Amino acid sequence: MYKMYLDGYATLTGVATAEDFAPYLEWRSLRRMEGMAKDALLCSCRALEQAGIDIKIPKDMGLSIAVGGGALESTCKFMDSILADGDELSSPTAFAGSVHNSTGLALSLSLHLQGPCVTIGQFDFSFPAALLTAGQFLQSGASTQALVVVADDVNPVLADCAPQYSAQFQHIVRQLSGPFVRHSAAFVLSAKPTQYTQFELKEISFSRTNQDGKETLPPAEKLARLLAAGTSFELHDLFAGATFCLKGDPYVKPK
Amino acid sequence: MTAKIAVAGVGCVCACGNSVRECFENSLTGKARFALPSHRVKSTYAANYPVFLVDDALVQSRPQDQELSVHYFLTAAKEALSQAAIPLEALRRLRVGVIVGTSVDASFHCFETYKNWKENNLSDKDAQTVANYLSRSTAQTISRYFGFTGPFQTVVTACASGTDAIGIGKNWIEHGICDAVLCGGTDEINLIPYDGFIRLLIASKERCRPFSKNRNGINIGEGAGALLLVSPEVQHHEHVSAVGYVLGYGNSCDAYHPTAPDPEGKGLQRAISFALKEAGVTAKDIAFVNAHGTASQANDAAESVAFNKVLPQVPVWGSKGVTGHTLGAAGAVEAVLTLQALRQQQLPPTIGFEESDENIGFSPSSSTKLSHAKIALSDSLAFGGCNAALVLGIEGEHV
Repeated sequence: MYKMYLDGYATLTGVATAEDFAPYLEWRSLRRMEGMAKDALLCSCRALEQAGIDIKIPKDMGLSIAVGGGALESTCKFMDSILADGDELSSPTAFAGSVHNSTGLALSLSLHLQGPCVTIGQFDFSFPAALLTAGQFLQSGASTQALVVVADDVNPVLADCAPQYSAQFQHIVRQLSGPFVRHSAAFVLSAKPTQYTQFELKEISFSRTNQDGKETLPPAEKLARLLAAGTSFELHDLFAGATFCLKGDPYVKPK
Repeated sequence: MTAKIAVAGVGCVCACGNSVRECFENSLTGKARFALPSHRVKSTYAANYPVFLVDDALVQSRPQDQELSVHYFLTAAKEALSQAAIPLEALRRLRVGVIVGTSVDASFHCFETYKNWKENNLSDKDAQTVANYLSRSTAQTISRYFGFTGPFQTVVTACASGTDAIGIGKNWIEHGICDAVLCGGTDEINLIPYDGFIRLLIASKERCRPFSKNRNGINIGEGAGALLLVSPEVQHHEHVSAVGYVLGYGNSCDAYHPTAPDPEGKGLQRAISFALKEAGVTAKDIAFVNAHGTASQANDAAESVAFNKVLPQVPVWGSKGVTGHTLGAAGAVEAVLTLQALRQQQLPPTIGFEESDENIGFSPSSSTKLSHAKIALSDSLAFGGCNAALVLGIEGEHV
């Protein structure tokens, strides 16, 4: 099993604001960006700052993005434009933004990332897969550092349906009733320890299972809480037919 | 060079056939189902903008509870597994991962349900549609169908997804995460990308003309490509006769524009260069490149700049004139066709190409008999500025 080193992390519950971005980027430069991408970008700025990485300098850092439903704001805007104005006046801008990879674009443009980029979209199990992919960037030498980003939006139809049709949703949705809020997170990983390394990640496993679990907290949030505790940890997640395990220790610099 | 990862079997369905052999034979002649999609898409554009469609009989054979993209992938995957000739029971005892690239299947493209919700007319059936959408991570569904228990991953890096899925599959085996990986891509015709590409003014009303001076846009398509990759140990123990090998994979970000590639193709050059380096080969070893070649002005121009720089004099084959742009499936369909061209030592023509463009700097392939061709490259470009490249080979000097 290969090791990865965690140099910085940040999470956000809710919506990124202009004030939040003040230390990093001009708010107006983000005016066309999907809300979910802004949240992810803010987390990334904070995580990169912790890792001692200048966001303004081009870098070959890998980018591994975990999304659930993807760019729902633009997807819904595009469908709204078809409903309101017909196919022939539907919004091309909304369509471009609706692509899952639009968060990848927002991050790569704003943070000057020119390394490998892959977006994973499999709802509750995007984050473990994105961690595996980041590990592959580091192992293959495609990049020496990787940014793992979790970003998701609230699906308005699901928010309406889930409480009413709980039987259909209880096995596949961790939270059945509101209030529904956006969550995002970012983790900076390195192939080798740096002066900013906080944790050593080891023993990552992720597989399909025939069991249904009852975990309620998404794994990225769970990881952030474990990291905040500052001690050795074992993260286990069993949900919706998949299982994920990650172990880590606080990093101690060799003398 | 890193370890060579064997391709034990391949499968393909798209507008030019329901099997690899059929798809390849038709890619030589240009026979494909290119038609208006009025029966599949409720759009006012459907009377004017044709697409590349999978055979209706295959569409209609879909089980009621299966998404069309999943049906396409399963069809291709069954062909790949059959060619690999490894008993399913034996595979189930191994760590078999599943990686599928897609666009539509992972997106909230449930237009009718959304419309009903906006009109306060949501039904039980609509709720079930949303539940199905949430529970159908493409890769997990495929994994469950075959009874595999390894990791799974649905890649949604837009039109590079299929290429990424294969490259990541190679890495998973190389780095000991899996013994075998079923990987590829799948996509289906859907209103959202259909209208979207037309509204971006990059769709053509005529059959696409990759790398032509008079090229005027893309035709979207649908289909799936599947590959079963196995470790050297599995190849040995299961007596696998390899169809080919995945030798290198590169990926990079343009950080340039939401829908247009970097006109200098710098990101693509980095992806290709990394894939060549990982494979331990140089441009001189590459018999041909299967280009992304969508026939949009920007794509073909950017790709040609990159090819002229890092793959000079290498013949370029564009296959979207017979498959259409199958979005998340494109890279996988093209990887399968690339391997088949190497196996048959036959480079197909770039169907649709009409007129050389001095700004492109080369004319794409005409039908050519290959001689001792062992290695080729296949690349993909995606919205958001992602580039991906695979170096593929058959048994030979470098492989």
